Amino acid sequence: MFARILRNDLRRGRLASLATLLFVAAAALLVSLAGTLGAELSRALTALLERATTPHLLQMHSGPIDLPRLQAFAAGRPEVEAFQVLEFLNVEGSAFEFGDRTLAGSVQDNGLSVQGRDFDFLLDLDGNVARPAEGEIFVPVFYFKDGAARPGDRVRILGREFRVAGFVRDSQMNSALSSSKRFLVSPADYAALRDRGSIESLIEFRLRDPDALGALEAAYVAAGLESNGPRVGFPLFRMMNALSDGLLIVVLLFVGLLVTLVALLCVRFALLAKIEEDYREIGAMKAIGLRVSDIRRAYLARYAVLAVPGALLGWALSFAFRGPLLANLRLFMGEGGAAGAPVLGLAGAVLVCLLVLAYVRGVLGRFRKLSAAEALRFGAPRETARRPGRLRLAGGLPLGANAALGVLDVLARKRLYGTMLAVLVASSFIAVVPRNLHTTVSAPGFSAHLGIGACDLRADVQAVGDIPGRAADIAAALAADTEVRKSVVLTARAFPVRGKDGSESSLKVELGDHSVFPVAYAEGRAPRSPDEIALSMLSAQDLGMRVGDRLPTAAGGGWRDLTVTGLYSDVTNGGKTAKAAFPGGESPVLWAVVQASLRDPSRSREKAEAYGSAFPYAKVSSLQEYVSQTFGPTIRAIGSASRISLAVALVLAALITLLFVRMLVARDRVSIAALRALGFRNSDLTRQYLARSALVAGAGVLAGSLLANTLGESLAGALISLFGAASFEFAADPLSAYLLIPLAVAISALAATAAGAAGAGRIDVAQTIRE
Amino acid sequence: MNTILSGERIVKSFGDGAERRNVLDGVSVEIRPGEFVSIMGPSGSGKTTLLYSLSGMDRVDGGRILFEGRDLSGMRDDDLADLRRRRMGFVFQQPTLLGNLDLLDNIILPAVRDDRRGTDRHVEKARDLMRRTGIAGLERRSVSQVSGGQLQRAGICRALLRDPAVLFGDEPTGALNSASAREILDILSEVNAAGTAVLLVTHDAAVAARAGRVLFLRDGRIDRELELGPPDGRGLEDRALRVSEAMRELGI
Repeated sequence: MFARILRNDLRRGRLASLATLLFVAAAALLVSLAGTLGAELSRALTALLERATTPHLLQMHSGPIDLPRLQAFAAGRPEVEAFQVLEFLNVEGSAFEFGDRTLAGSVQDNGLSVQGRDFDFLLDLDGNVARPAEGEIFVPVFYFKDGAARPGDRVRILGREFRVAGFVRDSQMNSALSSSKRFLVSPADYAALRDRGSIESLIEFRLRDPDALGALEAAYVAAGLESNGPRVGFPLFRMMNALSDGLLIVVLLFVGLLVTLVALLCVRFALLAKIEEDYREIGAMKAIGLRVSDIRRAYLARYAVLAVPGALLGWALSFAFRGPLLANLRLFMGEGGAAGAPVLGLAGAVLVCLLVLAYVRGVLGRFRKLSAAEALRFGAPRETARRPGRLRLAGGLPLGANAALGVLDVLARKRLYGTMLAVLVASSFIAVVPRNLHTTVSAPGFSAHLGIGACDLRADVQAVGDIPGRAADIAAALAADTEVRKSVVLTARAFPVRGKDGSESSLKVELGDHSVFPVAYAEGRAPRSPDEIALSMLSAQDLGMRVGDRLPTAAGGGWRDLTVTGLYSDVTNGGKTAKAAFPGGESPVLWAVVQASLRDPSRSREKAEAYGSAFPYAKVSSLQEYVSQTFGPTIRAIGSASRISLAVALVLAALITLLFVRMLVARDRVSIAALRALGFRNSDLTRQYLARSALVAGAGVLAGSLLANTLGESLAGALISLFGAASFEFAADPLSAYLLIPLAVAISALAATAAGAAGAGRIDVAQTIRE
Repeated sequence: MNTILSGERIVKSFGDGAERRNVLDGVSVEIRPGEFVSIMGPSGSGKTTLLYSLSGMDRVDGGRILFEGRDLSGMRDDDLADLRRRRMGFVFQQPTLLGNLDLLDNIILPAVRDDRRGTDRHVEKARDLMRRTGIAGLERRSVSQVSGGQLQRAGICRALLRDPAVLFGDEPTGALNSASAREILDILSEVNAAGTAVLLVTHDAAVAARAGRVLFLRDGRIDRELELGPPDGRGLEDRALRVSEAMRELGI
C-alpha cells in the first residue's frame, strides 16, 4: 500500500523526480570525485616529495660559485641535515633533436643534469631513482605527455646521440608552471658536454625540521652568499606540483556544491507543489490523529527513494571518471595508492544524500504550522502575507490586464519569487564571469599584466658570450627591416640594492626604454629618468618598497637612491625583477631582450622563424606564440570552462524556472480555475506567467550581469593572481557580456515559463472549483 | 419558444472502462431570457455537472448545448472563454477572489481584460454595484480583511459587471449564515427582476423557492419540474413548502 502510494507519487511528479535524482547523482559524482582526487593527490604528492627527497631550500645561481664558503655555511647551521650543489647545463632548445623535431620553439629552459648525490632524486615512472647508463637519457615526464619522445627513441643533444631509457618525475620542475626541465644523463655523458652550454648551479639544502626554512633563508641572505637566480622553498614546490590538480579539485567541489544547490531547489519546488496538492489530505491525516512526525516520515521516504539511489549512482559513476581524471596526476606524481580514496569518495556521496534529506526535513517543518481544520475547510493554505500593494488595476493599465496581473503577483509575493530571482542572478553570473575572464586573458594586451610588454616579436639572448653585442646585431637587423614598425633592446644586469631593513641583496634590473612596449603597472608608472626604477610586485615585497620610496642602489660606481615609480606583476624570471632607464656601465649583462612590433602583426610567426634561423643563438618567438605556449593550456581551459558554464547557466535557468512555474501553477490552481471560469483564455494565463518571469528575469539578469562585472571581476582577479598577475581588469566584450548572454539567460527562463504555464491550461476548471 | 440557453439530450460521463458511468444521461433543459431556474437533487445526481456543462466549462460527451443560438460543443476553448467573459456571470460557493487584488480590482478583473482604456468606466460601474450590494467603502480591502458574506457580494458584483445574459450560481449561499444568505438571495432576485436569467444549483428549499421553476435531477436525468409562478419574491414561505414537499415525494 505504502509502496503503491510512493510509486504513484513518483509517477505523477515525473519531471521533478527525475531532475532530483539526476542532480543528486551529479552532485554526488562531483563531490566524490573531488574527495577521491583530493585523497590521491595528497598521498601521491607526499610520496613523490618523500621519495625524491626534495630540497627544502633551493638557490639557483648563474655564474661562478665559492663552494668551500657554501660548505662552511651549511656546516655551521645546526638545522641543515644535508647540503649539495647540483649543476644544470642549460642547452638551447634547437640542440635537442627528437627525430626531425627539435625543442627550438619551446619556451622552457631545457638542460642536462646528473642524478642527485644525496637527495633531490629524479624518479623513473616506477618511482625508483633513475640511473642512466652511458649513452642513455631519461626525459622529463612533461615531454612524455607532450608526445615528444617514446622509450627506445634516439635523441641527439648537442650532436651526441642518446637512447631514451625512460622518463623521470622531477619533484622540483614537473609542473608546466616551472620554467626549467631537467634531462637526466650519466656523469660521463655530462662531463663530455659540460662546456657546450651555460651552467647554472642548484644550491640545495635539506633540513632536519622543515619549519626552520625561514631561519635558514634569512641566514643565507644575511651571509651574502651566491644568489644570482630565483630562490625557492619547499612549500612552493609542494604548491607548484599540487596546483593544476588542486585547481581541478577546487573546481569539482565548487561545481558539486552548485549542483547540490540546484538539487535542493528541485526538491524545494517539487515538495512545495506536492504539499499544496496534498493539503487537504495532510489536514485529514492530522485530524484523524496521525502525528506530524508520521506524516513527515511518509514524505521523507519519497525523497529517500530518490536521494539514496541518486547518491549511489553518482558514486558508482565516479569510478568510471576516476581513471581519466587521475591519469595526469598518476603520470606526474605516480600512484598514490590511497586505500582510503574510495571511502572518502563514498563519504562525499553520503554527505550530498544527507544534505538533501536534511533539507527535505526542514521544508516539511511547515506541517507543524498547518491547522487541520483550516486545511480541511480551505484546501490550500491561505497566504496571509499576500496583500494587495500600491499598484492597482483600477489605477490604469498601460501594458494591459495580463501584464498588470503578472506584475501585481510578483510584487505581492516577493519572497516566493526571491528564489527564482536568486537562481537567475546566479545563472547570469556563472554565464558572464568565465566568458569575461576568457575574453580578458585571450586579449592581445593581456601579457602586459604578466610582465611582458605587448609587442609582436621577442628575441631572448641568454647564456652566450657577448650578449650586448649579439643583441645589438639583432636590433640593427630589425632597424633595417621595413616590415618592423619599432623595436627596443632591454639588457638585464644585477645590481646590489639595500632593502627597507638595511639588508643588501642583488636585484636583476632590465635597463632600456620602457615606454616603447610598456607592461601594465598595478600602481604608478614606468621609469623615465635615470634616477627612477620600477619594481615587480615580488621584488617590492622582498625589499619592503612602495611607490614613492627611495631604493639605495649600487650602480655607476657608487651608491645612489633611485625613486620607485611603479609596481608591476611579473611571472618571468622568478618574478623578482626591476626596470630602470639608467646606463648599465661595466656590470655584466645577464640576458638581453629585443622586442619589436610589426606593421602587419599577422606575420609575426613567419618573422620569428626567419629571425630565429638568422640568429640561432637567440630564442626568437612571436609573442602570440610565447603566450600560447606558456598560458595556452590555461587559456584554452578557461575557454572551454566558459562555454560549459554558459550551457550550465542556460540549462539551470530553464530547468529551475520550469520547476518553479509548475510549482506556482500547482499552488495557484484555484485562482487559475477562477480566472478561466471568468473567461480568461489559456493564452492570457500564459501571458500573465510570462509577465511575472519577464519581471523576475529582467531584474535577475541585470543584477547578475552587474555582479559579474564587479564581484566577478574581483573573484577572477583573485584567481588570476594565482598565476602572478596582480593588476586585473576585465576586458569584456560588451556585446556578449551585457547583451547577448543576459538575453540568452532571460530567453531560456521565458521559454521554460511558457512550457510550465501550459500546465495552467490543463487544470480541470469545473473539478477544481467544485473542490 | 424563445430560449437563451438550451441543452438537448446531454450526456456526460466520468471514469474509465468498466467503471465509466454517465453522470448526465440524456438531460434536456431550456432556459428563457430573464427566467430564474433552480436545479436540485441528491448528492451525485449531476446537478453541478449540469451547471458547468451548460456554461461551457465542462465539455459534454453527447448531445448539444445552445447559448444564444450558438452550439457550445463545436467551439474552441478560447471562444468559450470569450463567451463566458462577455455573456455569462458566475457565483461560486467559495468566492474565488484573487488574494493579491483588492475587492475593487477583483470586481473589474473580467472587464479590463478586453478594455484597458475603459478602466474608469468599469470602476464607476463597480462602485455602483458595490453600493447596491451593500459593500460600498470596502473597495481597497483585501480578501482576507472582509467577511465571507462580503466576499460573496463582491463575487456577485464581479459576475454582474458586464451585464451577463445568464448568471450561473453554484450553491452561492452554501458557505454563509442564514442572515447573509437571505441578503445574497435578495440581491439575486433583484438582478433577475432587472432582466438577467439566473440558473442556480442548490440543495436548500428556501433558496430554490426564489426561482420560477425548479428542476429535480436524479441519476443523471430530470426526474421532475416544478413551476412556482413568477419569481416576484412574494409568498416565499409557501413556495418553499411546495419545494420541500416535492423533495419529500422524490425522496431527496
